[in-house]
Amino acid sequence: MASVAHDTLVLPRPRRQLLPAGVLQAAVWLLVVGLIVGPFVPMLYASVRDRPLYEAGGVLTLDAYRQLFSDGAFWRAWVNTIEYASLTTAVAVAGGAAAAILVSRTDLALRRAFGRLILLPILLPPLGLVLGWIVVWGPGGYLTNLFSQRLHIGTLAIDTVPGMSLIEASRLLPVAYMTCEAALARADSSLEDAARSAGASPARVLRSVTIPMLRPALLNSATLIFTLAVASLGIPLLLGTARNIKFVSSYLYLQWTNAAQPDPATVSAGAMMLLLVATLLLLLRNRLLGAEARYVSIAGRAGRNAMLPLRALRWPLAALIALYLVFSTLIPVLGLAVMSVVVVLTPLVAPWHLLTWANWHQLATGEFHRAIVNSLEISLVGAVLATALVAIATLVAHRSRFPLRKALPFVMLYPRATPGLIVGIGFFWTYLLTWGVGSWLRGSIWGIMLAFCVRNLPFAYVVMYPTLARIGEELDRAGRAAGAGWWRTSRSIVLPLLRPAIFSAFILMFVEILCDYDPALFLVKPGNEVIGTTMLSQFIQGTVGPVAALAMVQVGVTVVVLGLGARLFKYGSSSIGVTGGHDA
Amino acid sequence: MPEIDVALLGKTFGEQRALDDVSFTVGDGELFTLLGPSGCGKSTTLMSIAGFQTPDEGRIAVGGEQFFDASRRLNVAAERRNLGIVFQSYAVWPHMTVFDNLAFPLKVRKLSRKDVGTRVREVLELVDLAPYEQRYPHQLSGGQQQRVALGRALVYSPSVLLLDEPFSNLDAKLRERARSWVKDLQHTLGLTTIFVTHDQDEALSMSDRVLVMNGGVVQQVGTPEDVYRRPVNRFVAEFVGRVNLITGMVARYENSTAIVDAGEAVRGLRVHVEHTLLPHASLTVAVRPESLVVEPANAATYNGTNTISARVTSIAFLGDHYQYELDAGGLALTAQSPKQVDSADVKVHIPPDACAVVE
Ligand SMILES: Nc1ncnc2c1ncn2[C@@H]1O[C@H](COP(=O)(O)OP(=O)(O)O)[C@@H](O)[C@H]1O
Ligand SMILES: [Mg+2]
Repeated sequence: MASVAHDTLVLPRPRRQLLPAGVLQAAVWLLVVGLIVGPFVPMLYASVRDRPLYEAGGVLTLDAYRQLFSDGAFWRAWVNTIEYASLTTAVAVAGGAAAAILVSRTDLALRRAFGRLILLPILLPPLGLVLGWIVVWGPGGYLTNLFSQRLHIGTLAIDTVPGMSLIEASRLLPVAYMTCEAALARADSSLEDAARSAGASPARVLRSVTIPMLRPALLNSATLIFTLAVASLGIPLLLGTARNIKFVSSYLYLQWTNAAQPDPATVSAGAMMLLLVATLLLLLRNRLLGAEARYVSIAGRAGRNAMLPLRALRWPLAALIALYLVFSTLIPVLGLAVMSVVVVLTPLVAPWHLLTWANWHQLATGEFHRAIVNSLEISLVGAVLATALVAIATLVAHRSRFPLRKALPFVMLYPRATPGLIVGIGFFWTYLLTWGVGSWLRGSIWGIMLAFCVRNLPFAYVVMYPTLARIGEELDRAGRAAGAGWWRTSRSIVLPLLRPAIFSAFILMFVEILCDYDPALFLVKPGNEVIGTTMLSQFIQGTVGPVAALAMVQVGVTVVVLGLGARLFKYGSSSIGVTGGHDA
Repeated sequence: MPEIDVALLGKTFGEQRALDDVSFTVGDGELFTLLGPSGCGKSTTLMSIAGFQTPDEGRIAVGGEQFFDASRRLNVAAERRNLGIVFQSYAVWPHMTVFDNLAFPLKVRKLSRKDVGTRVREVLELVDLAPYEQRYPHQLSGGQQQRVALGRALVYSPSVLLLDEPFSNLDAKLRERARSWVKDLQHTLGLTTIFVTHDQDEALSMSDRVLVMNGGVVQQVGTPEDVYRRPVNRFVAEFVGRVNLITGMVARYENSTAIVDAGEAVRGLRVHVEHTLLPHASLTVAVRPESLVVEPANAATYNGTNTISARVTSIAFLGDHYQYELDAGGLALTAQSPKQVDSADVKVHIPPDACAVVE
């Protein structure tokens, strides 16, 4: 051992930081909480005022609520919404849980491939997929006509409440799949092995061990899917409106846009009510998650997984899952693809006689072109900003002594539970009330970007938090002991270790912002269009071909970006699973 | 001047009292050990000194500087305490090379590049890691990682070194070597050190003084000899090595010697006591197995005082000694001796000054 005169060296004591860590932490906390909760304050205010916020004067009143509650259409919309959300939840949870059990606990054919492909419906642009469904299965859709005119077979009408919920369920099934899959991966499969060695048949094991084990995950994903279905706007708007089936979200949207005299107070009151329901559901879910955490700690570490043999059912069940993928993803996307290169899509004339590039050419002009450029711009900038903010906010939430840190995890998950439409209304009022900055935001694409960022920020959080939790706290303590303050420790030690998760969060944020649309419906103005709003408004006006082409652009960019993060695809997707499965 | 002064620390987690009036002082250059079973509050104490736990009550001062005082709401930030810490997990930063790990504290202190290089190499030399400076932690063995952690804690010449179970992740052979290596290093550098362990051998072999704690309460502070030979209570006696506990009744006193009766077989046992108790008080005496002298029943030595006859129930050969399990008229005793005794009937001598009254 070399001996060195240790005490000859006198080093300076680490200096006090110029900016105390608490100031930065407080700033980040305020920014996050302000951005998420702030916009609902003007909305609440608008709902109890007798005239719009942009008009001077005015008194506080509950008239809007009274008016809303006395409107039969509003209550019918609630009945429809609850029926729709319940059906969606039942189908998606049953399907997702079954798929998760098949993929992670049995010798299903092609199970590895399915494990990944099954996530596609939730990763692809929701609005594009809905348009694809309509083009193919809708009233007058290609396959609908083909079946009824050529084969004289009726198909399921998708413009009914059960039909719409089937589409929504096929989109949200991966949420249940991921939650259950995560729970199964955590649970010790030796419990199942033990039941089998005790003589139970595979079916019996499933009924008596596996499904009870999954109960917390089922409840948890059911609440989330129910919340997401209540919040859904695209399907109700595109499929329900024509048949005059209104849901709460589409009722509020149409109240605002179609009414001869829009009544902001009533819409805000309805939005408050929807927000209240979503909040209660989120609180409920948090309680369920608490139960799940207790459960998991009992279950212990994941063991080796022995597969239940399906025997003769190996392939038929695989075919069933393949069929789901064909219906939920392949047919809508193919429908869009074909639609985008033909003049019209009809079973009467073979598509190859009707080929045209005109739809795609239109994308290079006018609103379509602007929408694409705007969307790419806000996705890139928004993903960078949101990822950076969430990264730091996650550190404040879990790796600081900031007194109010405990509120952050709940707040950061909150936008996930709030319907995009409501986020949009909130930001609309906020921009109106914040003078210069507000009117600049209102007049540019950055106002839309901000709303999209806030709406999708939970994705970044749920990707980063599990990774952060795996970075031992002694690593940052060692940094502090070495003399580095909170921010220096975060910058030099924790954030570099979090880098893979930050990158995944960025990829996911980019895709989510690119595909989002409903918060922008109240914010969009000519010149500020984004892909989603343009698709929706043009489609409603009857422009189908170019909209299909636009949807294909969105699908294409999504697939390429997710593919670029291919190494992280698994990562990102397993973390969306965490959206369903794991909060702070 | 005491280097570290901890006074009346208290900490409650929910219902649980993790620290209860923990007080001790550590002298300059001393190697002071916190010893106790897992969960007794050792890490909580150490992390309170380091600034990563905030006790509910008490005071902490190091080198005359007050770091923590609950009554004055004073709590110096961890990064400004200038203490060297080696964590149980080592906490070597995985994304930095060995060199960068050691350089970080110096960069934080704004040393010039050249000085950083010189100082880091000097310390790498000290911890025998010079050839590994460009390696990443995952390319190092557990023992090497531990030395990186130690080097990183020493590189900025902290006034105090805190070690939280630094050897618990090493295998038995390596642990032996690391112990003497750390002990030498500490001695050479003259560093005031607090060392946390649940391993009594480690505590006894390395420390200048040992603090034994249990359930957040300090049981005894003393030299290794003190806590081993003169445990103040049953917990310390049992936790620090193997022990025979003999419970009996005080028959009478002769000066500072108590005459104790413990059952039929053990009568008139003479035990050294510091303070006298009432006659007929019950008391428990702790005797280490190696203090018992085992002789064949017919041997001429040790007749009379403190000698009882017993039967050997089993003998185990443990390399450097034999271990005897004995039955002295219903009282089970364990004895250790380098000598082999063949007969089944033996005499056991209990030296009066090897007896510690524990309750
Ligand atoms: N952050 C915490 N929250 C709740 N209880 C804790 C926490 N840290 C430690 N404890 C409890 O305090 C007691 C002392 O812990 P610790 O100091 O880590 O013990 P050890 O002596 O093993 O190092 C333990 O019972 C532990 O469960
Ligand atoms: Mg400990």
